[in-house]
Amino acid sequence: MAAVEDGSSVALGGFAITRCVVAAVHELVRAGKRDLRVIQTTGGLDTDLLAGGGCLSRLVSSGGSLDRFGPLHAVNRRLLAGEIQVDEYSNLAIALRLHAGALGLPFVPTRSMLGSELLDQLLEQEDAVRLERDPFSGKPVVALAPIKPDVAIVHVDRADEAGNAVVGGPTWGLREAACAARETVLLAEEVVPVGSLDPDAITIPGPFVSAVAHVRWAAYPTAAVGLYDYDRQHLEMYVAAAVEGGDAYARYLDEYVYGVDSHEQFLERAGVAL
Amino acid sequence: MSRWAPGDMMAVAASQEIADGDVVVVGLGLPQIAALLAKRTHAPGVTLVLEIGVLGAVSTESSAGIADPRMWKGAQAFGGMIDVLGLLLHGGRVTLGILGALQVDVAGSINSSQVVLEDGSVRRFRGSGGANDVASLAGRVLVVMRHEPRKFKQRVDFLTNPGRLVDGRPREEAGLHGLGTSVIVTDRAVLDVTDAGLVLRSIHPGEDLDSVLAATPVRLDPSGAHETAAPTEDELRLIREELDPHRWYTA
Repeated sequence: MAAVEDGSSVALGGFAITRCVVAAVHELVRAGKRDLRVIQTTGGLDTDLLAGGGCLSRLVSSGGSLDRFGPLHAVNRRLLAGEIQVDEYSNLAIALRLHAGALGLPFVPTRSMLGSELLDQLLEQEDAVRLERDPFSGKPVVALAPIKPDVAIVHVDRADEAGNAVVGGPTWGLREAACAARETVLLAEEVVPVGSLDPDAITIPGPFVSAVAHVRWAAYPTAAVGLYDYDRQHLEMYVAAAVEGGDAYARYLDEYVYGVDSHEQFLERAGVAL
Repeated sequence: MSRWAPGDMMAVAASQEIADGDVVVVGLGLPQIAALLAKRTHAPGVTLVLEIGVLGAVSTESSAGIADPRMWKGAQAFGGMIDVLGLLLHGGRVTLGILGALQVDVAGSINSSQVVLEDGSVRRFRGSGGANDVASLAGRVLVVMRHEPRKFKQRVDFLTNPGRLVDGRPREEAGLHGLGTSVIVTDRAVLDVTDAGLVLRSIHPGEDLDSVLAATPVRLDPSGAHETAAPTEDELRLIREELDPHRWYTA
């Protein structure tokens, strides 16, 4: 994760409890990265770990949760303590800002968020959002500035050595994140030679990708459809520690993040048999 | 099987608002159950859309949420948010959105973000997700929520999702698409959202007008209210045996 420096803007590929880039986030927490600005359509375990590990200073997203396992307790705790800033958009608005970044557009118009207090908050908080007039109809329209994150970290099923990558199932905003970032790092469950992937199946083409890391079970304890399920017990254990906070959360990080050197060791400690 | 739980009645009343051919964005829980119930009864041509990027979802497997792959089983197509919230929803092809609400007001505006507690502190929830996109852009919006006095407001504490009117003006003047919130289905009644405010369309069997009015501390026109059609045996069987067998959402 050398691409991520203190102060970097980082787009994460996870969504709630699926395809969270846990292996990468553990490394960032261990490395003591600070002041990261995370961009994500919907926050998940990866973002909560960064918040809990003290790496996060700002979250640009539509919110987030661990689905029925609960809210993002570490994010909420830091937010209520005034330690992080959260810029709350709609899901589509985040995806559009990344899409505009990927396309190199100066801004993108949308009707989403018009007439809402989400928009009022953003107009106060962010120079990246403006209420404008449609030059053709004269009606109000929201202008969103593009986002080009310094780094995107995205979990994929398979990638070839040129970075062409396959993602099964829905892709929420991970494709836009990968295509918008200056550097995109893939966590691939399997790495194969160039030419062995079906071109019809490619989600993220190679030219967008700076590096491919071969990491098995990289999203664990969150799910990767067709590969592995989320680990209900581990997520419940994480949430229990996050709800309690303080020493209980520190013990979780000591056990599963600081107390291991690699994702393989984490998996072993969590009881995953490779 | 003839007696039903409040959640059964909500699911059935909500399903009646769904027409054959609707393209409907749903979330986990009662919205999904109502849409699947409609699909299995009077609206076989309904298409369920999940904001994460799933089209044609028909899964009835119990899941932890829309990020749980169990909820995507049987889908007809996958994509991303630019596909489902962009091309489909922003593009005007989503005819109905079904949303929950922490609070709703007389204009049908929805608070799904945060509630101001009695001591003045703010309790945050999970953020808008795609709910704001749906409320801004769907052809019409159906709100499904429990009927409690604290949930009905003259003006919501925080306006996450715009309703039928924006600052008292037609929503198209604000640049929005669609009708906004048209109907509110609760465990006690069905309410229409009109330009003149909330209108009581029907009261569920077993509820009485006075208690519904007492539980609705905003202006509500009861003059045309009738009784909601009771759930049929077939609907109750589908809910209990197939759509929500663990009774997580409808009990």
